[in-house]
Formats: sequence, structure tokens, C-alpha cells
Amino acid sequence: MCKNCKLKPVIKLPNSNISLCKTCFLRYFERKVRKTVRQYKLFKKGQHVGVAVSGGKDSLTTLKVLNKIIKPQRTTKLTAISINEGIKPYRNKTIAHAEKFCKENDIELKIFSFEEAYKKTLDKILKKKKDTIPCSICGVLRRYLLNKKAQELKLDVLATGHNLDDEAQTILMNQFRNNVAASARLGPITGIKNNKKFVRRIKPLYFLTEKEIMTYAILNKISVEHSRCPYSKEAFRDEVRATLNNLNKKYPSTKFSIINSFIEMLPLLKKNYKKSKINYCNNCEEPCSQETCQTCKILEGIK
Amino acid sequence: MKIKILDHQDKIKKTLDVSSIKEAAEKLNINLEETVILKNGELTTEDTKLKENDRIRFITTSSGG
Repeated sequence: MCKNCKLKPVIKLPNSNISLCKTCFLRYFERKVRKTVRQYKLFKKGQHVGVAVSGGKDSLTTLKVLNKIIKPQRTTKLTAISINEGIKPYRNKTIAHAEKFCKENDIELKIFSFEEAYKKTLDKILKKKKDTIPCSICGVLRRYLLNKKAQELKLDVLATGHNLDDEAQTILMNQFRNNVAASARLGPITGIKNNKKFVRRIKPLYFLTEKEIMTYAILNKISVEHSRCPYSKEAFRDEVRATLNNLNKKYPSTKFSIINSFIEMLPLLKKNYKKSKINYCNNCEEPCSQETCQTCKILEGIK
Repeated sequence: MKIKILDHQDKIKKTLDVSSIKEAAEKLNINLEETVILKNGELTTEDTKLKENDRIRFITTSSGG
């Protein structure tokens, strides 16, 4: 029974023995997002907030909750951005979901494509670069395009659907790869502060699990029936995910403890790995860590 | 009691003779940490009581891409 009102429960919350009914769960979920926005100052009233939307449950849930928070604030603006990488037929289907969702909820949606920006779809790029891991190329090109379009749209921040499970997995993967510097770039809000060339990323679902997000999505009739991206072969992440979920089954607070201890360490990590100077690509002038950015290197390699 | 396990298209995948959701999940090697449960089309928890011919669907929560 629901802990609060004794109605039929829809979820037993992870990390506790508490069950909640539909109404109490939706309230709990949205309060948790509001608390994250407030506590980590993800955005302020009057700002222009973007949401990167793939059409999957995580990004559409982010959009749904942020729309609820932002709509009553007349001065704050919300825009959804989708990137069509050109993965047929997968991405066309998920973008169709995003379009339908935005139309129903009266949210402005901007769609940009690899084909328009890079003159090639991901399908075509990968035909030329058969020896590479698709996600590494796609990730670099997608993030670059999102940042560029976010600048053009004058967004103050760009929200993504990253959640507690994603973050716990990434923290562990960085540890296993001895790449602590990469973890210094994680957290509920990331990116370079006060830099016109970089739109900061925010993660409003940071403290919510995949299970909670899936439940929220189903209750809000957000489609959860997507197949996986045909290029998605993240064997390492899948293994870490399974390990974490098995540990969480035995020791129910495992994932939460990883996140909570990480949040405590994060200020120290950021301080330790703080860059004194930001580089700009000598070709496209976008921020990067070397002389030429990864995107320009990839594009040069597929000419 | 016998319950029906549904696939992603709500078609009957198999029938199991179990007394609880947890037992069904164990038989199917499903980790409930990463699964949402639908009983007769409605969201429920692993503690729900089962009845003969209940239709159960397990939806894995992980996504990709």
C-alpha cells in the first residue's frame, strides 16, 4: 500500500522500503527535480533553457518536468533541441516521438542534422570509418553540434536526460580506466562558467534512477518502446550497469552511495583538475583541449 | 498458481507456476532493480499479490542511444 494514502502502489522506491501510489509518486518525482534545480542552481528565472531531446524516455521526461516548472515562470523560456545524426531508421522514429510530444505539449522544437552541418549522415561516415567505435565518433559530433546550436539559439543552459544510474556507471568506468580527470567534468551542472563559447550542461534527473524515470514516463504516457540504437555496443557500460544493479540488489544503497560520496568529492576534483587556460580550435575556434578539436579531426579524416 | 508472462507486444511469452513476482523474476533471471512491472496492464510493485491467470510484463529500464 502507498505509504502516504494507502492506495494501490505503482512503485517501491529504490533505496527504501517505501511504496507510493501514482499521485504521491508523481509529486515525489517532480519535487526531487525541483530540489535539484534549486540546490545546484541549474538555471534562474528569466533564462533560456534548452533540452537536448532524442525522443527516448529520459530526455522526454526531462522535457516534461522542466516544462511544468518553467511554464508558470513567464520570463523563463524553454526550447527543445534534437539532433538527427542520420541513423536510419532508428533516429527518424525517435525524432517523430519528440515532434509529437512537443506538439502535444506546445513546446518549441528545433531539429538539426549531421547532414546539414557536416554534409554527411552518421551512416555514411561509419561506412568510411569501419575500424572505429561508432559511439565515440557520434558522441563527439553530436556534442559539438549541440553546443554550437545552443550558442546560436542563445541558450543559457542545456539540459540532458542523464540520471543517477548513468552517472554512477560513468564514475566507476572512469575509476576503472584510471581517468579521474574525466570525473571532474561530471556532476549536476558541468562546463565552463561565463564562457560565451560553451553552453553549460545541466542534469535535472541527476538524483533519480532509471526505474523511477521509466515509471514516471509510463504514468505520463511517454513512449518507452524504443529499440536500442543499432550502433550501440557499449559492452563495458553494459557490464558495469549489470554489476551495479546486482550489487544494488544485495546492498540496496550502493548506487546512491556512489553518487553521494562523489558529490562530496566533486569540489576537490574540480579544484584539482581546473584548467588555467581554455584552448580554442585553430580551425573552427570552438573550445577544446588541444590545438585542433576532435570534431575537426574527425571531419578531416572522412574527407 | 499459473501466471502469464507477456512480451513487449503484450503477447503471451510463457506461463509460469509461481507464488510471487519475485519468484517469477528469479525464474526468468530478471533483476528487479532494473525492471518495471505491469500487472494486467497496470504498474505495480514486486510485493503485489498474484492471482491465477494474472498477466505480468517485465520492462527493463536501461536504454541505449
